[in-house]
Amino acid sequence: MTAISPPPSLVYRYRNAGASYILLGLGGMFLAINFLALNVQRGAEGLANWEHFAIWAVCAVVSAVILRYRLPKHDTLLFALTMFLSGWGILAIDRLSPLFADRQTAWLSLATAAMVAVGIFPHTLRWLRTYRYLLLVGGLTLLVSTIVLGRNPSGQIGAPQLWLGIGTIFFQPSEALKIILVAFLASYLAEQYPAMRAEGLNAGYHRLQLSPRIAGPILLMWGLSVVILVWQRDLGTAMLFFFVFLALLYIASGNWRILLSGLLLIVVAGIIAYYQFDVVRLRVDIWLNPWPEADGRAYQVVQSLMAFAAGGIGGQGIDQGYPTYIPVVHSDFVFAAAAEEWGLVGVLVITACIVTLFVRGMRAAMNQQGRPFRVLLAIGLSLLIAAQSLLIMAGGLKLIPLTGVTLPFMSYGGSSLLTSFVVAGLLLRLSAVDD
Amino acid sequence: MNQTLILFALRFVSGLLLLSILVGLFIIVWKEYRSTTGQSEAHRRVYGTLKVLRELDGMYRITGETYPLLPLTSLGRSPTNSIPIPDTFASSEHAMVTLRDGQWWLEDRQSRNGTTLNDLPVTQPVVITQGDVIGIGTVRFHVELEL
Repeated sequence: MTAISPPPSLVYRYRNAGASYILLGLGGMFLAINFLALNVQRGAEGLANWEHFAIWAVCAVVSAVILRYRLPKHDTLLFALTMFLSGWGILAIDRLSPLFADRQTAWLSLATAAMVAVGIFPHTLRWLRTYRYLLLVGGLTLLVSTIVLGRNPSGQIGAPQLWLGIGTIFFQPSEALKIILVAFLASYLAEQYPAMRAEGLNAGYHRLQLSPRIAGPILLMWGLSVVILVWQRDLGTAMLFFFVFLALLYIASGNWRILLSGLLLIVVAGIIAYYQFDVVRLRVDIWLNPWPEADGRAYQVVQSLMAFAAGGIGGQGIDQGYPTYIPVVHSDFVFAAAAEEWGLVGVLVITACIVTLFVRGMRAAMNQQGRPFRVLLAIGLSLLIAAQSLLIMAGGLKLIPLTGVTLPFMSYGGSSLLTSFVVAGLLLRLSAVDD
Repeated sequence: MNQTLILFALRFVSGLLLLSILVGLFIIVWKEYRSTTGQSEAHRRVYGTLKVLRELDGMYRITGETYPLLPLTSLGRSPTNSIPIPDTFASSEHAMVTLRDGQWWLEDRQSRNGTTLNDLPVTQPVVITQGDVIGIGTVRFHVELEL
């Protein structure tokens, strides 16, 4: 009997590439206007920053042309949104902390090159799958080595030591580990797919079956998240890992009990962490009521809320608000800064861009007919971007306890930018499904 | 021209550009959504229906439940089938109806309690036609083809 493949019309083709480029052009105009306003506001003695805009524009045009010829069927909207958000990020850093902007622009060109390379290299997905154990061991080794060799670029005593540094270049291994873990889980779960969909687990509504096959990785990931939390005090990354993993496992197995038991584990871990770790207790207390300590430990969150309030609908205009009152605004609170200077409209555009990125990533997943690894990889990567954005956006708005993750594509941070662009490159590659 | 005026003008233009980006994004997503639903609706053309019959007072009666007949229709207890059958006598992947070379074939997928066609057990793939009755567990399906 021959295998019956789904009709080709089920694979969605991306059209209207022109519209995406028009959108990117509008984004470029927006950035140019704002760079102009920034220079007008700063006057003659201000820092000239046109070269940052020029480098962004060159990156965007060159990568668009290369992708157009080498990966013709990719989702152009995904690409346009990635470039627009990262350009906005450069603009925001230029405005918030001009001294970091040169470095960030250099990272941007590197990240764009990485995105294009990942997108057009023909063996990317196969290698991710073949060398998964090597990648995983490498990633974990780097992570563990930060416990011994970790540094913090700011050089403060007592700051989290999450970086590995050579000279003045710093890299955060937990960022690279995000992609490696998603790829590893996608290929592991893709292999377990038939077993998970087997009758016993799926049809046994009345029995609670958690075979080691399923429970094993859950506990492993949970343990890993806890280790990151305990040793590195990196609450955001730990939560991100666990959420993304749980979602992937749920999607692979279609079993709601897995979701339930995972959420239970999060609650248990959360309660224990609340009583055991000062960082967690601080974050939760501030989230519940920041006002008694508005000048002290809750200063950051309160200033972020003030920035949102000051922005109003249209915003204060670039360099005309005071978002720099928020401590470390350029990495954790770019969203709040955007809210103050571009107002509700800016916030809506950023949110819409990230939502659309997520939706297009999921569409790339739906186009992978009968290839569990690619489906799970696309879902995992889209979720990674979406969950991370949600954590920091909602954290800055005091909707959930604040976790110090970066806003993908926009925040200051070389490793974060590089990771986001590699994710974008993989999604572009996955969106160009044809064979 | 004073600086405040220039800055206000730039702010205004930047706000307009943001709004146009939002509208543009909406238009792109909306257009592609429309074309996707168009595509999937074109694909979902009706080949026929399976009408569910259940036993009541010793006779099989139409219950009003109908399912579309697709070029590849799987029947069984698992919710992943195109026609899920919540019946304890049905296996999770019980039977399959396929369109091959213009003919409809019914095939049993090694189910525990077997599949029947017009109350005869199905041991190998058989051709079905208009008016046939497929039996799985306690449920019967009346085949209605649109030719």
